Amino acid sequence: MLDAIAECEKAGYADGLAAGLAQALTGVDVLCPPGPVAAVPAAAVPAGAAVIGHRLADLEGISLVRCADHEPARGLTALGARLGAVRLGITGLLIERAVEHLSGRTAGGEATIRKQLVAGTLADALTATESLRQRLLVAGHVAVAVTDLHDRLNAIDWEVAKLLGASGYLACGPARGAYVARLIANCWIAREAG
Amino acid sequence: MTELEPALRELRSTCREVAVDLRSRALAVDARPLEMAAHLDSETLTSLRTASTPRRFRDCDDSLFGASYTGSCLARVVANAELACGDAGILSANTGASLAGLAVDALGSDDQQERFYRAIADGRTWTFFAMTEEARGSDASAMQTRLDKDPGGGWRLNGAKRYVANAVRGGIGVVFARTGPSALTIRAALVQLPAAGFDAHLLDMIGLRGACISGLAFDGVRILPDELLGSHLPASRRGMWGAGRVFNVMRAQIAAQALGVGFAAWGYVREQRPGWSGLDLMSARLAAARALLYDVAATIDGSPGDRRSPSIAKLHVTDLAVQATRWAEYALGPGSLAEHPLLEKWCRDVFAFEFMDGTSNILRLNIAPVPARQGLAS
Repeated sequence: MLDAIAECEKAGYADGLAAGLAQALTGVDVLCPPGPVAAVPAAAVPAGAAVIGHRLADLEGISLVRCADHEPARGLTALGARLGAVRLGITGLLIERAVEHLSGRTAGGEATIRKQLVAGTLADALTATESLRQRLLVAGHVAVAVTDLHDRLNAIDWEVAKLLGASGYLACGPARGAYVARLIANCWIAREAG
Repeated sequence: MTELEPALRELRSTCREVAVDLRSRALAVDARPLEMAAHLDSETLTSLRTASTPRRFRDCDDSLFGASYTGSCLARVVANAELACGDAGILSANTGASLAGLAVDALGSDDQQERFYRAIADGRTWTFFAMTEEARGSDASAMQTRLDKDPGGGWRLNGAKRYVANAVRGGIGVVFARTGPSALTIRAALVQLPAAGFDAHLLDMIGLRGACISGLAFDGVRILPDELLGSHLPASRRGMWGAGRVFNVMRAQIAAQALGVGFAAWGYVREQRPGWSGLDLMSARLAAARALLYDVAATIDGSPGDRRSPSIAKLHVTDLAVQATRWAEYALGPGSLAEHPLLEKWCRDVFAFEFMDGTSNILRLNIAPVPARQGLAS
């Protein structure tokens, strides 16, 4: 389990979302998500599956597949933990891009990255990702902890994307991966509606 | 708490009705934002254009919205919140005066206003408001786009802008640039297209695709003396002073649109899960935000130079709207974003408001108390 978590984060960070998702889905029946739609690497879409087009997901090499009546796959909490690790890799990339972006800018004659509001946001994001990584290691088997982890990542990714300014809203930018990661989590994280 | 006068309550009611039509067009515009022919002549979009045009420049006066749509900041806020609850993307995809109109109204002479509104009277002309630059964000005081003296008379516009709605298909717009180093030298130029040296390209954005957000480059675009806005005003009121007042109204209007998206997400969940007890908290938070926004808009109407109130409104409401879309995503369970494309679109659209006319951190600097004599953010 611990190795799988580390490998998933590494895959998400180094190889991208599709590669990370492929790693996370190892051994899972991809047509048995907790809801009516599965998110899978485009290369892994089963023949004849009904794909729901999504521009940003397509750009990340991810397909959304409609699944007929089915029982949810077993081991979804463990999958959620591995997917959380993939997302930590994507969030890490996003933070790196934000640091790069801010390091090259000045405001009022001072490096933007040194501004307290900015530095505080980055510090909070880094702190949160460290704590979430530990959570995966000690509570990756606890469904509610994993669901909450994905909700936290949705919030952290948005806070970091804001630091990129409007460039964080470009479909060709690093925030796209974070958004598609949210779409994937939306498909695979089991939660009671509401 | 601001109570709405009967005319504004009627406006709100009308906007709620037409929001249904906006929503019916939302996904088509998101998928194909450059294909607006099927929408522009609809009664809704035609009426919105008419209502956003000062009465003296209207060719007809049969807008569904009457005269009150742009009559005050409060009216703009009331209308935009309801319309954006239909869909914010298509609001930003419409032709007409839009934000450039606010700038022309604030800074333009009678002749310049006449020229601007005549240019868009065909109902087929998009306008643009170009302030943001790639390296400077919304820090207007640091902008680098220049108005260089033209030996032949007038000015030459040089530089670049980014994240400008509808510029790629625009016909006329307002571009901010500086004639010198001081803050007082920042001026607004009316740019009518086509113009030699003007280049626009579409930027692929995550959401609010109806806005056709664009990048602009200027290579010696000629600006005639009568195309510089504000020349009839005192020097201190020609550039950023006017822009600042425009920003205050804009920020309230953008907050209203964000609120509309938040209400849209909440209403969508209510439709999908009627009677669910989990609706109450978000309902209360959104209603309180609307009350705050109404108060702020009324404050701006009485004190248009107040930057703090609209900053509070935009900071709070844009954040709440993002939270509302996430709440809706979770409320509808696994697969909700793929199963409910409108909700998924709103989840993308709602991010846009953060980047428009002052990011959260810029707004925080406006809101936080500062020692006397210390300057404020833009």
